[in-house]
Amino acid sequence: MEKIKNSHGHKVGEGFSIDFYAYSSKIRHWNSTFKVSLSVLNLILCIVLNNPYVSVAVIVAMAYLTIVKGELPVREYLSILSIPIGFILLGTFTIAIDFSSQPVGQYNLYLGFCYVFTSHGKLKEMVFLILKVFGAISALQMMTLSTPSSEIISVLRKAHVPKLVVELMSLIYRYIFILIDTYTKMKNSAKSRQGYCDFKTSLYTVGSIAGNMLVISLKKANACYAAMEARCYDGDLIFLEEVKKVKTIQIITAAAFTIFLILLWGFTL
Amino acid sequence: MEKPILRVENLYYAYGNGKSALDGVSADICEGEKIAVVGSNGSGKSTFFLNINGVFTPEQGKIIYRGITANKKNLNELRKNIGIVFQDADNQIIASTVRAEVAFGPMNLKLPKEEVLERVDRALAYMDLSDFKDRPPHYLSGGEKKRVSIADIIAMKPEIIIFDEPMAALDPVNALMLEEVLDKLGSEGKTMLISTHDVDFAYKWAERVLVFCQGKIIADGTPLEIFKNTEILKQANLKQPTLLEVYESLVKNHLLEDAKAYPKSIQEFKVILENRCFSQALLPGLI
Repeated sequence: MEKIKNSHGHKVGEGFSIDFYAYSSKIRHWNSTFKVSLSVLNLILCIVLNNPYVSVAVIVAMAYLTIVKGELPVREYLSILSIPIGFILLGTFTIAIDFSSQPVGQYNLYLGFCYVFTSHGKLKEMVFLILKVFGAISALQMMTLSTPSSEIISVLRKAHVPKLVVELMSLIYRYIFILIDTYTKMKNSAKSRQGYCDFKTSLYTVGSIAGNMLVISLKKANACYAAMEARCYDGDLIFLEEVKKVKTIQIITAAAFTIFLILLWGFTL
Repeated sequence: MEKPILRVENLYYAYGNGKSALDGVSADICEGEKIAVVGSNGSGKSTFFLNINGVFTPEQGKIIYRGITANKKNLNELRKNIGIVFQDADNQIIASTVRAEVAFGPMNLKLPKEEVLERVDRALAYMDLSDFKDRPPHYLSGGEKKRVSIADIIAMKPEIIIFDEPMAALDPVNALMLEEVLDKLGSEGKTMLISTHDVDFAYKWAERVLVFCQGKIIADGTPLEIFKNTEILKQANLKQPTLLEVYESLVKNHLLEDAKAYPKSIQEFKVILENRCFSQALLPGLI
């Protein structure tokens, strides 16, 4: 497996590094349909079964796949998950606490004019919800950290998502990098000419760059269309998709895991 | 004379702003020719390429490929047999992996999948890109992207390959790699057109030079004919190839005899110099 140099990895933002991890994942050669279905199935099970044990099992299994099988460093995995975790905590916090004029619940805090309180029941509800959402997220994260966008798009095409949407997705995916590249270049050249020296100038510069980007996008679109036509493009965007064999052992493992989750749910009902 | 495979007759083309980009261009291109297309920016080289590839439709004039005049119906035939490697590889690359990118052309030719795969593997091996096939284009360097854009065209197996300023933005190593590829393609008898600002390269590589100036071909001939004609060079804002200039000034100052043996490369030049020293040693005072 070749090593990909992480040339613009972290500098530009989260989107870039996730894309990069997907390309360097060791389970990238797995059949993409298999990975996407496994991920979606786990996501659905997590939500439908609504069971904390199932959620924990999914979280562990997905982390295992991503970190052990995919060989993604644990620190990177946690740093990617820290964003959704932040949102989950913020969102579920409001479920756990409530306000009252009386000191009710197992735990309460007097704020001077009212009580903030919570109870075992509410805390339990919050933890279960966190686990459920977290399970669902790690299932999706397993997919995005092991399957490059182009392969996810090809799975969508096989799933009969409208052609227009699929074609747009692949073009947007390709051109987003060119757009970021162009933006970075313009920003740097503006910086070197004192374009960001104070707030007012910065605003003006950002506006000019945005306007210029539009013009350049239109020009590039023309150039790209000419290049596509030169290669016999006739209205149908078709890309070569590789066939990656799905191994029987993978299907058996996935099936066994699904049965295990359902049994777990049955026993802990 | 050989029968031309591509015949361009009196081509006119104007962009939307009304400025004419091609103003009556005619040329015959024969099989296996290595043609350099020179001329300043905006002289119509790229427009000419896009016209003969069938991407732009000329306002007037004919493009005849192997005896068949191009029209709306057989446009794809033209595009299939004439491939362009664009100047900016980023404009050309549209797929999200190298393999899918190189396969884009063959897929559009509606070839069976086995054939597509075979052609892609061949083209990637040809451009020494086999290790890169699963990589997305945004993790490639400039030189690698250029190689991908050439593999794109090789996979389509066109008869004529057009390179639009291929040397632009390449470092010396990649430029050398490109020259090797050009030699390899040349030895396989491919017809090639290359637009370039590098007169030294054009002088060295080409068998024939087309000079564009303001939408017209103002000269068409062997590199020597063109680059010795100072009037044409002046009109097209070109300079003389260094080697030619050096040789001519040596002759002018009687340091070399005028044997009309114009060296095309540094190696040839060195051989001439060595021979001269040799003869001088044998026959002192003669030269």
